[in-house]
Amino acid sequence: MNALMIKGLLFAAVLIGATIFVVKSMNIDLSDPINMITIIGAIAIAALTVGVSTKYINQMKSDTASGELVDTNWDGIGEYTNELPSGWAYSWLGTAIWAMWYMISGYPINAFSQIGQYNEEVIAYNTKFQEIHANPDAATLTQMGESIFLVQCAPCHGSTGDGLSGKAHDFTNRMSKTQLLDVIKNGSNQLGYPMGAMPPMMAQGADAEAIATYIAGGMQGEQPASYGACASCHGADGKGMAGMSPDLTVFDETLVSNVIKNGKKGVLGTMPAYHDRMTPVQMKALAAYIATLKG
Amino acid sequence: MQSNAALEYDYSVAKLFTYATILFGFLAMLIGTLIAAQLAFPELNYLIGEYGTFSRLRPVHTNTAIFGFTVGGVFATFYYVGQRVLKVSMAESKFLMFIGKLHFWIWFFGALFATITLLMGYSQSKEYAQYEWPADVAIVILWVLWGISIFGLIGIRREKVLYISMWYYIATFLGIAMLYIFNNMAVPTYFASGGLGSIMHSVSMYSGANDAMVQWWYGHNAVAFGFTVPIVGMIYYFLPKESGQAIYSYKLSLLSFWGLMFLYLWAGAHHLLYSPVPDWVQTMASVFSIVLILPSWGSAINMLLTMKGEWNQLTENPLIKFMVLASTFYMLSTLEGPIQAIKSVNAIAHFTDWIPGHVHDGVLGWVTFMIMASLFHMAPRMFKREIYSRKLIEVQFWLQTTAVVLYFTSMWIAGITQGMMWRAVDEYGNLMYSFIDTVTVLHPYYAIRTLSGVLYFVGFVIFAYNMIKTMSSSRELTEEPQFKSPMA
Amino acid sequence: MFHWLEKNPFFFAVGVFLVIAFAGIITILPNFAESSRPVVGLKPYTVLELAGKEVYKKDACIACHSQMIRPFKAETDRYGQYSLSGEYAYDRPFLWGSKRTGPDLHRIGNYRTTDWHENHMWEPIDVVPGSIMPAYKHQFTNLADIETAYAEAVTVKNVFATPYGDEFQATKAAWEAHKPKVLADAKAIAADMKNQDVKDAVAAGNIPEVVAIIAYMNRLK
Ligand code: HEC
Ligand code: HEC
Ligand code: HEC
Ligand code: HEM
Ligand code: HEM
Ligand SMILES: [Ca+2]
Ligand SMILES: [Ca+2]
Ligand SMILES: [Cu+2]
Repeated sequence: MNALMIKGLLFAAVLIGATIFVVKSMNIDLSDPINMITIIGAIAIAALTVGVSTKYINQMKSDTASGELVDTNWDGIGEYTNELPSGWAYSWLGTAIWAMWYMISGYPINAFSQIGQYNEEVIAYNTKFQEIHANPDAATLTQMGESIFLVQCAPCHGSTGDGLSGKAHDFTNRMSKTQLLDVIKNGSNQLGYPMGAMPPMMAQGADAEAIATYIAGGMQGEQPASYGACASCHGADGKGMAGMSPDLTVFDETLVSNVIKNGKKGVLGTMPAYHDRMTPVQMKALAAYIATLKG
Repeated sequence: MQSNAALEYDYSVAKLFTYATILFGFLAMLIGTLIAAQLAFPELNYLIGEYGTFSRLRPVHTNTAIFGFTVGGVFATFYYVGQRVLKVSMAESKFLMFIGKLHFWIWFFGALFATITLLMGYSQSKEYAQYEWPADVAIVILWVLWGISIFGLIGIRREKVLYISMWYYIATFLGIAMLYIFNNMAVPTYFASGGLGSIMHSVSMYSGANDAMVQWWYGHNAVAFGFTVPIVGMIYYFLPKESGQAIYSYKLSLLSFWGLMFLYLWAGAHHLLYSPVPDWVQTMASVFSIVLILPSWGSAINMLLTMKGEWNQLTENPLIKFMVLASTFYMLSTLEGPIQAIKSVNAIAHFTDWIPGHVHDGVLGWVTFMIMASLFHMAPRMFKREIYSRKLIEVQFWLQTTAVVLYFTSMWIAGITQGMMWRAVDEYGNLMYSFIDTVTVLHPYYAIRTLSGVLYFVGFVIFAYNMIKTMSSSRELTEEPQFKSPMA
Repeated sequence: MFHWLEKNPFFFAVGVFLVIAFAGIITILPNFAESSRPVVGLKPYTVLELAGKEVYKKDACIACHSQMIRPFKAETDRYGQYSLSGEYAYDRPFLWGSKRTGPDLHRIGNYRTTDWHENHMWEPIDVVPGSIMPAYKHQFTNLADIETAYAEAVTVKNVFATPYGDEFQATKAAWEAHKPKVLADAKAIAADMKNQDVKDAVAAGNIPEVVAIIAYMNRLK
């Protein structure tokens, strides 16, 4: 090896080192087979390119051209009849044989199924996380919930859950006055509580205004008389009569999972329904996390 | 055999293409630098209203670079090399001269027209085939004209044996003709609906997964027959010619050529790995991509071996430097590509910035280096003046080499990081990163790429300046240089 | 060895052509019919959705967005069920994309809604801080080309037997008759939007591009 090749390989090593450093700093697990193969591939690209090209460039220093020329000469350009470089020729032959073997007998091209591979990946995943998902404790749930929330919900609710200035529900407050007035006026029938639908126009004008202010304020202080219209379903304490209708004071598990399952269209906008795209434990986790957001 | 000296080659068409190639190169790299900057600094999206967004400009960048700059460079060199290796002058046939000029003007206005339609938003949205059908028709016409030029010149040639470069020009012609026509097959809706709506609009002949198969059969080989085959043809002429060295091995060039022709067309589905196209097609594409390393490297090695013993030329002649480095960047991208075509690697690489990184190893380090070196070599012979400044070439060389290295190292790290972040799960098995996390983390790399774009673009401006000075005010030559290009 | 071929350009060219031509045939044709079969229940795009798809092509969203979910757990968690070829049977052209500067959109209709898109297309960083997606404010004023979209529906019906109803005919009259249906679809979208100019435009019978692209986004499921 000479200086040029050493410099080249050094550059390759720095590049690979930097890549691994950056990836590691993002907490990536390099023992994951896909990640590992990729890194090996990257090393191969850098090392082989540098190694082989500098080998030939070095010959510009050390070797001299020779050989027999063909008869023809094109615009002053000649051609030697030199034999193939043997390393190249054997690699050609080798890869060609490998390719035939691979496609015909090693991994026959009609035998691989990417969907089969996917199914195996899912099984392996389920086995790996089975235990955690079976019996998560409260702290685990909250942490799980946070990471799901940041990936799935933050694009609408914001990474702090504040609803991005009224673009979606603000979890730091149970409900805003605007939302309450809207529900009081229009009723609601989409969340899937045992009680079914909430009728529209349960209160109007100043009454509605008073109820909304009261509930938006966290149901603190004096309860307006007009709240009676709500108490029959949500309870005098607003707790939703043990899951029959929504709890108006906190984000409980029933509310969160109902909204995730059914979606919600309100005055702020529409939240999509997740149907079966969220597992029960994920919904539980989200509820646990959202409960921590209310300041 | 007749003597060389008696022939006076006519470069009028080659000169026209040279001017336009420089113009399109300038535009392509200016826009390339702008879109690189937009990803780092999104405020730059609003410089020219709706026409200035990244998404409108990106196809303008790629198409100007491919159909303007690269294809223009291929045509310019063809109208130069073709005459010389066939030993026949364009001046000998009024017909071919006419065809050549028509070819130029249709190409030039076609490319301008197509660029404007893309800016306006007329697009088929198939990569590298975005142009709508009227521009496609223009492309088919100019391609036929080029074919007439190639086979017309061959028809009246004095040198019976086709030189290696000609093999590659012929292959480029045939390959693109076949690919372009099939991939752009579309039905204009105006005519099929009794005159409703826009006349520019069309629908693809193929749908869904079939359209994908045809598109990447085309797309991969548009790269093959646009960025590889003709450029290999160019290096086979310009490197030995500039250095005065004979090609190292005829056999190596032969096996590399036919190997490349045979293998390239199978590999297109490596752009569709893990997509819903049949598994067997994907596997075949991966395997053929690996084998493809050898015929690709064959040409590069042949070029490096041609320079055996010529270290002094490498250090003294900046054009040789460009071409030798181009060979090594060609080796880099034709090893990187196959490795990215391995399914497990592609699972990470696909959709990430590692792919544009791979792309620009090729287009900046190989294609553009070769086109610039070729035009530099041609200039003293076409304009009968020495190259204006060697010092400027040296400056340009170092600026642009630094730029390529910055481009591919930044995108390499960015792409691998992004690909792995998309897959990462936390200790509970939930996705670790939201999508936007994987975007914001790329900012520094996008900024480095922008810097690289600026450096490369400045280098290109220096190239253009050097060329213009060479054409207009450099010292005149009395005699055509045999090998090394004279430069001040 | 091969010098003969190199002296006979005609046969040389034929040789090259043969060598490059057959790979395409062998890889593309065998599954052609199977790959174009729609999944059960797949409906062709409505005219408004097609107009939205045109906006998607015009503004080249494909530069940053894919519409193809690969069969990896990480992707199905992020975007939903992996993509099947039959789901694209009416996509001319296919819009799988090759770069994810932004997220995949093949099932975006499942997890984003009209009002969200409205906010996002107007100013992405207001919705997703740190976004590098350009704002597409011009889509709120430019009008969607629904007539061309209708022409496309008629074309694919007549040429490729895409199952559009009998009311899709290659005549101006048929188009005029269909137009109210498109407007009704647009009104349904506009009802969930907040931008007053857009609402007014739709009420007046004009369809801004943003309405069409939202219809298209909501359709992607
Ligand atoms: C007839 C029973 C009934 C009465 C009376 C009633 N509600 Fe409801 N309320 C419900 C039900 C059931 C729901 C869940 C509706 C759904 O599934 O969309 C609900 C939902 C709500 C919600 C939405 C909760 C959320 O988090 O999205 C609010 C706010 C609300 N009620 C407030 C009120 C107020 C204020 C009143 C009195 C003015 C009232 N309700 C009266 C039954 C009732
Ligand atoms: C496309 C946007 C969007 C996404 C994604 C989204 N939400 Fe929502 N969400 C909304 C909007 C908008 C509302 C408010 C509807 C209204 O009241 O006007 C809402 C309301 C809610 C509510 C109702 C609060 C109440 O008391 O009524 C809950 C709970 C909720 N979201 C939880 C979630 C969770 C958990 C996720 C992620 C798994 C999520 N959301 C994802 C848009 C979204
Ligand atoms: C410069 C690249 C770029 C372009 C061009 C672009 N986007 Fe985006 N897009 C992004 C990025 C980055 C995100 C993720 C951050 C965000 O949500 O804004 C995104 C997110 C989105 C999302 C939300 C997806 C999700 O899962 O949250 C939608 C929908 C979308 N873009 C639609 C479009 C449409 C429609 C166009 C074309 C008119 C377009 N984009 C053009 C970069 C781009
Ligand atoms: C042996 C040779 C090569 C092979 C096998 C190869 C393989 C690949 C692969 C696997 C991809 C990525 C597809 C994806 O996941 O999206 C790719 C992309 C690309 N390569 Fe190569 N590559 C080769 C050489 C080159 C060269 C020399 C150039 C240019 C000079 C080039 C230009 C491109 C371009 C432009 C793309 C981007 C396509 C897109 O828009 O998605 N490739 N190549
Ligand atoms: C100043 C030099 C250049 C800069 C800064 C530059 C920058 C860029 C950027 C930012 C992109 C978009 C990448 C993305 O979407 O993430 C791109 C794409 C592309 N550029 Fe360039 N470019 C330059 C020169 C060129 C040249 C000279 C060519 C061709 C000869 C070229 C060919 C391409 C191609 C084919 C793509 C599409 C890649 C893909 O889809 O994967 N570029 N370029
Ligand atoms: Ca086209
Ligand atoms: Ca691409
Ligand atoms: Cu390819």
